[in-house]
Amino acid sequence: MCRLGAVKLTGPLERVLRVLVADPAASHYGYDLMRATRLPSGTLYPMLARLQQEGIVAARWEEQRPDAGGRPPRKYYRLTAEGVRVASRELADASAPSGGRRYAAVRPAYGTQGGAQ
Amino acid sequence: VSGTQPVQRIAEQLIRVSCRRLPADERAEHYKEWSAEVPAILCDTSVRLPMLRAVRALRYSAGISRTTRYLCRTGSGVRRPSTWRDGAIRVRPGTALRLVIGVAIWLVVVLAVVSLVRAFPQPPVWPLVVGLTLAAAFDASCLVDIARAQQVRFLPKWAWALICLTQVPGGGIVYICVGRHRRGRPARPRSAQLP
Repeated sequence: MCRLGAVKLTGPLERVLRVLVADPAASHYGYDLMRATRLPSGTLYPMLARLQQEGIVAARWEEQRPDAGGRPPRKYYRLTAEGVRVASRELADASAPSGGRRYAAVRPAYGTQGGAQ
Repeated sequence: VSGTQPVQRIAEQLIRVSCRRLPADERAEHYKEWSAEVPAILCDTSVRLPMLRAVRALRYSAGISRTTRYLCRTGSGVRRPSTWRDGAIRVRPGTALRLVIGVAIWLVVVLAVVSLVRAFPQPPVWPLVVGLTLAAAFDASCLVDIARAQQVRFLPKWAWALICLTQVPGGGIVYICVGRHRRGRPARPRSAQLP
């Protein structure tokens, strides 16, 4: 079900997910996310493509608005319903005090009961 | 605002060039998306100096090159299943072997040259000329191959070109053995064997 499980939660990915999860209903365009995450475009867009492929993030085109002053339409990204669930769980895992990060899913960290299995 | 026009055009041109890597049917949409961000960056008033905004816009469009490289490596769009982990498993042993073979060939070449020089303290000119010509031709063919390949492995194209140029026969040999994709195409077939 959770295909993000195949992926290590790396620093940049964590930052993107944090920004997206902070307001799951909000849509972000590329530069907006770049500013919020302080990631360069060469890191952000591949990640968005990956997340889109995994069904975590959905994209849609903005409609051309007459009041935009001739600005070209942008593409907006937001979390899908599954994305919200997966991302918030991943982030909770990542910030867990056991420091287990992804390993917690593989084997219980020292000092825990291993109830997750 | 008029000062930002050339920057915008350069940035758009960079994005357009990067987008050429993508399949034709995806090119237009990606270009539309990425070029739409350029004016947003150039008009971002949170960055006060116009100069810095210009730098930012150029850095942005340079990053798009990395993005398209990634997309054509993994195949963009929804068609392809996730292949994130391939890279970690796929090429390791093959590459080490190829590197060893490449270095071995290179050593043979060096040994041949050294023994030739030992055998003839006053070496006749023509083998030298022939050897140098062959080495130069081989290197030139490697450079042409790098330029024409859709994609090379492990290092960017310019780094392979530099290696070929600096280590005259050796760099080319190592490139052929390690950096070259078979028939210049991305090596994807083995991922099908993975569970």
